Amino acid sequence: MSGEPTTGSLGRSVRRKEDQRLVTGHGRFVTDLELPRMRHVAFLRSPVAHARITGVDTSEAVGTGVRVFTGADFADVELRAQSALPSYVETGQPVFAHGKVRFAGEPVAAVVAADRYRAEDGCELVEIDYDPLPPTVCAWEPPEEPVHAEAPDNVLLERTFTAGEVDETFAGAAVVVERDLVTNRHSGNPMECRAGVAVWDAADRRLTFWNGTQVPHIVRNMIAELMDLPEGNVRVIAPDVGGGFGVKAVLYPEDVALCLMARAMPGVPLKWTEDRAEHLLAATHARDHRYRMRAAFDGDGTLLGIDADVTCNVGAYSVYPWTAGIEPLMAGGLLSGPYRLAHYRATVRGVATNTAPSGPYRGVARPASVYAMEAMFDSAAARLGLDAVEIRRRNVIMPEDVPYKMPSRLVDDSGHYAECLDKALDLIDYPSVRAEQERRRAAGEAPIGIGVALYNELTGLGRAASAGPRMPFRTGHDACTVRINADGRVTVFSGVTSQGQGLETTVAQIVADGIGVTYDDVDVRIGDTDASLWGFGAFSSRQAVIGGGAAHRTAQAVQAKLLDLAAGLLEASVDDLRVVDGRISVVGEAEPRISVAEVARVAYLESHRLPEGIEPGLEATRFYDPIRGAFAAGAQVAAVEVDRTTGELTILSYVCVEDAGRAMHPQIVDGQIAGSIAQGIGGALYEHLVYDTDGNLSTGTLLDYLMPTSAEIPEMVIGHVSRPAANPLGVRGVGEGGTLGPNAVLAGAVHDALGIEIDTLPVSPSRVWEALHAQEVRA
Amino acid sequence: MDVHLIVNGERAHVDVEPRRTLADALREDLGLTGTHLGCEHGVCGACTVLVDGAPARACLMFAVQADGAEVTTVEGLQDGDGALHPLQEAFVAHHGLQCGFCTPGMLMTAAHLLDTHPGADRETIRAEMAGNICRCTGYQGIVDAVEAAGNARDTPA
Amino acid sequence: MKCAPFDYVRPAGVGEVVTTLRQAGGDGKILAGGQSLVPVMAMRMARPSVLVDVNRVPGLSSVETDGDAVRVGALARHALLQAQPDHPLLAEAASWIGHTAIRTRGTTGGSLAHADPSAELPVVAVATGATVSVAGPDGVRELDAAELFTGMMTTSLADDEMITSVRFPRPSRWGFAEFARRHGDFALVTAVVTEFGDELRVTLGGVSAAPMRAHAAEEVLAGGGSARDAARAASEEIEPTADLHGSVPFRRAMAAEMVRRALVRTGVEE
Ligand SMILES: Cc1cc2nc3c(=O)[nH]c(=O)nc-3n(C[C@H](O)[C@H](O)[C@H](O)COP(=O)(O)OP(=O)(O)OC[C@H]3O[C@@H](n4cnc5c(N)ncnc54)[C@H](O)[C@@H]3O)c2cc1C
Ligand code: FES
Ligand code: FES
Repeated sequence: MSGEPTTGSLGRSVRRKEDQRLVTGHGRFVTDLELPRMRHVAFLRSPVAHARITGVDTSEAVGTGVRVFTGADFADVELRAQSALPSYVETGQPVFAHGKVRFAGEPVAAVVAADRYRAEDGCELVEIDYDPLPPTVCAWEPPEEPVHAEAPDNVLLERTFTAGEVDETFAGAAVVVERDLVTNRHSGNPMECRAGVAVWDAADRRLTFWNGTQVPHIVRNMIAELMDLPEGNVRVIAPDVGGGFGVKAVLYPEDVALCLMARAMPGVPLKWTEDRAEHLLAATHARDHRYRMRAAFDGDGTLLGIDADVTCNVGAYSVYPWTAGIEPLMAGGLLSGPYRLAHYRATVRGVATNTAPSGPYRGVARPASVYAMEAMFDSAAARLGLDAVEIRRRNVIMPEDVPYKMPSRLVDDSGHYAECLDKALDLIDYPSVRAEQERRRAAGEAPIGIGVALYNELTGLGRAASAGPRMPFRTGHDACTVRINADGRVTVFSGVTSQGQGLETTVAQIVADGIGVTYDDVDVRIGDTDASLWGFGAFSSRQAVIGGGAAHRTAQAVQAKLLDLAAGLLEASVDDLRVVDGRISVVGEAEPRISVAEVARVAYLESHRLPEGIEPGLEATRFYDPIRGAFAAGAQVAAVEVDRTTGELTILSYVCVEDAGRAMHPQIVDGQIAGSIAQGIGGALYEHLVYDTDGNLSTGTLLDYLMPTSAEIPEMVIGHVSRPAANPLGVRGVGEGGTLGPNAVLAGAVHDALGIEIDTLPVSPSRVWEALHAQEVRA
Repeated sequence: MDVHLIVNGERAHVDVEPRRTLADALREDLGLTGTHLGCEHGVCGACTVLVDGAPARACLMFAVQADGAEVTTVEGLQDGDGALHPLQEAFVAHHGLQCGFCTPGMLMTAAHLLDTHPGADRETIRAEMAGNICRCTGYQGIVDAVEAAGNARDTPA
Repeated sequence: MKCAPFDYVRPAGVGEVVTTLRQAGGDGKILAGGQSLVPVMAMRMARPSVLVDVNRVPGLSSVETDGDAVRVGALARHALLQAQPDHPLLAEAASWIGHTAIRTRGTTGGSLAHADPSAELPVVAVATGATVSVAGPDGVRELDAAELFTGMMTTSLADDEMITSVRFPRPSRWGFAEFARRHGDFALVTAVVTEFGDELRVTLGGVSAAPMRAHAAEEVLAGGGSARDAARAASEEIEPTADLHGSVPFRRAMAAEMVRRALVRTGVEE
């Protein structure tokens, strides 16, 4: 084996491989693809939330020469998200609605035309008759007419997590706090909407599908199954993808429709670019939850018990393949967060409504559940006269508690929360913010408040940890193939995908260091199922741990081959060889003996020089599965000024400290944290998908759906605690943690500043003003 | 309709329906796919290009309106010898992009910003870049990059 | 999100604009900056059969001093209003419109004709008692800004009329305050205070279908009342509607607060 490389790239912020093409306008996004004979697709979407379809007339549209597909064309294909959980009610999602529509925006037909303009013209000519049914919009109001006949009460899944003696604990508690919290529906809204290009090769019965997806291998597997094709005949390519955040980790009916239509039109590439209005209507939503929380504390602020009832609005369909369980199960599994808790009861349920389906969105449920949990501490602290920081300190899981079995039976392996908190308090200069708060109080100036949130994030879930939703697959592993080419340069075919996380870069770093070549000598190919063997894709902050782990293992395997061959050529012992920056040397010698390129040449082109028993080629493929997961710790603290006259918040300072384990590329790590905090702030203060009582989306454009801009997002201070995790690279996932804090931090800051509890999100000016107004009326 | 325009310093001609947006003409008729579409209703800024030197939403202009105009897209930012524009270089150096989808619009807006507000401070940058939405970076890297490019420009070499 | 088809005409003069509109028989639309029209066309909520692009009509893009007022051509872009030194209130108001890339295209005539109740320029037009010049089949007529706005996004313009210029009188003192959710967003409330002679006017945008004068507030001020008293009066005389951004009481409160701020900026005693 090699010794420590002297000039490794890991740990340094090397120039990202993807940037050159992206800053020059040469990115390769799905919508940039132009193929001969390509035709364009527009989907016709239901204008009503709940209705029976009583008539479909395509004749006028067809008369103009366009091709039209409707529900009848693909009525035999259904997306059925599966789970073995006992209470799960399995339901189906059609490709195009037929029989009835279940949400406004659901695709009912598609038109194929020479360009997108004409495809939209064609949609206007398709006549669909609807017989309205009473819609259900709110998940905690009883339905008049169920969304799916299989679930008369609309409940698609319900589960109770229990530990300890909850009722007895509450009966004996010194303080019980109770709050009824509602979080705002919002969504990932990547800047690139969804997109696909599908082409069917009839002669070979092969489908190629360029898809802006986070999960190309899952898409291939599911498309092959749904279309009854050999898996090897389906090629899914996810080139550059303009953000995903979970929204693109789902297989949508539009994707399946595109592939089915392509099969019906052999040799004609079909392109669909989702527009923003479609995206807001029909890409997955998230975080439409209600938490009825009760927490029991003893007199000194020790948390004794939690009793929670959580309802998640899962929308019209059980999202494929993750199921309607994705949000409720995450909420119940991680509600207690990084806090010691013995007595726990949480009933969680996913309830169908006539709204867009809910799916994974960065942080899945935890931005809401962290808010619910932290609200308990804020309220209890106020009741007990404790400082918000102090009460958390009393309850947080410490390194000496680890491994800590959470009441949901997940095992926390971190315990670095207090350390993150201390560092965050240092960075914000907590005592001086408190002093400023007091000064302003005394001077009658605009009040400021401090909000605090601690969270644990389960990242890089291996086969044991990804068992939760009991889906028919386990997402614990990824594969990687590493090839040293005949010229000594390296090509990596990795199962990871990237929507901005810079995986081309980090995988190259891992492989470069793992073999002992320079970063510049490594090229990484991702997102093509014909090129890489396997990868589940980007979700659950898994790729740095799992895909990275696979790259590392594979690089080591290739290095072993390289050194075996070199040892034969040099007539040296493998154990004495070192490879650094593409040169192989013998321990103790000043000069390298041979380059990787020379060895590679032998491996491919000079078989006559191959030592006995060594096969040609320098390539390996390996899988990695961490089996368990790695918890990442985080703390966020902010100081916020409140304008009493308008209810507006100004974030004065925002600090986040996370334990990312070992940071392979510090700039990328900080970028992930900053980006996820910004999304969290968006969700906490601005973003809200609002349906009216008829089930029409009221926030259907970016003039109404307010994503934060550079003017709203504050300067952020990001700090690190680096506690290597127990995996080959020592990394913990960082993709999502940032989103977990802002709801709790900002609502908590308002509570701290004004003494008012914010129970409904977002923390909009009107919400704060109404609460203040009510407080004044009471006073 | 025939449209003659100058794109990134070169003469270009397209024959388009009046309803075709400048963005679609650039992307689909001229193959300049660096100009991105994130909303097609003027809010996100991904499609921002310079029309006769001023930033404009290419999704809110029809190609026919650009007849006789000079249009600069992200593909035209590099100088003749292929070196990156200082802003492009700064975006790379300061991690001003993740997925890169908003980047072309960000770069065009920033290019105009540095022309009109030399030496812009972070607060000005934040205010002036607010017409471009980025969903990935949290803006930190973008503000860093624009600030650095502005400072580099103000310091004579 | 692509427009329905239309015919495109690019007239060289105002006369031709009017004739083309007339020939279109109510189905024609002027295209100015396109920053409001094109989005609604892309969503197919507007589908004119003829689009009359006025961007190359000469002589309509300037801002000129005209006695105690400033005359603004219909095609003067928001960016130009923002940059001109002759009417500081107009410059301030223009700086609140959207973002740079919107302001380089959007026009004064377009903003007034679009008559969005949350837009800044219509409020300034009413606040300053602007005179709007309108060309039509029978020549040019002039009307008071207050007569232009007839309701929510509706004006008294005929289908074949075009705004050619707007004359904004210059107030001796003024104050501007706006409440919006994000930087560059349309206003939830805009309050503009203008002083002409010894009269203080209070004008509000975003609280009703069209910009409105807050007469009760003005009376309070005429009687020597404070900014706070006038603000309270303004909040009581308006009839806002609840929407996504807040309840009726909240909107009243925001109107009061913006009026107070605009008055203070004008120099009126708290
Ligand atoms: C992202 C975004 C943010 C925005 N934010 C704001 C904001 O904060 N505040 C604000 O006020 N506006 C805002 N706008 C709108 C912008 O100000 C528009 O420029 C303005 O409302 C319309 O002007 P226009 O020249 O673009 O008109 P167009 O869009 O070309 O036309 C609008 C309407 O006016 C008619 N019209 C245009 N010119 C004339 C004329 N001379 N005579 C008669 N009719 C005419 C057209 O036929 C059409 O019906 C925003 C727009 C966008 C895309
Ligand atoms: S695509 Fe033009 S502004 Fe969003
Ligand atoms: S880098 Fe992805 S949207 Fe900005």
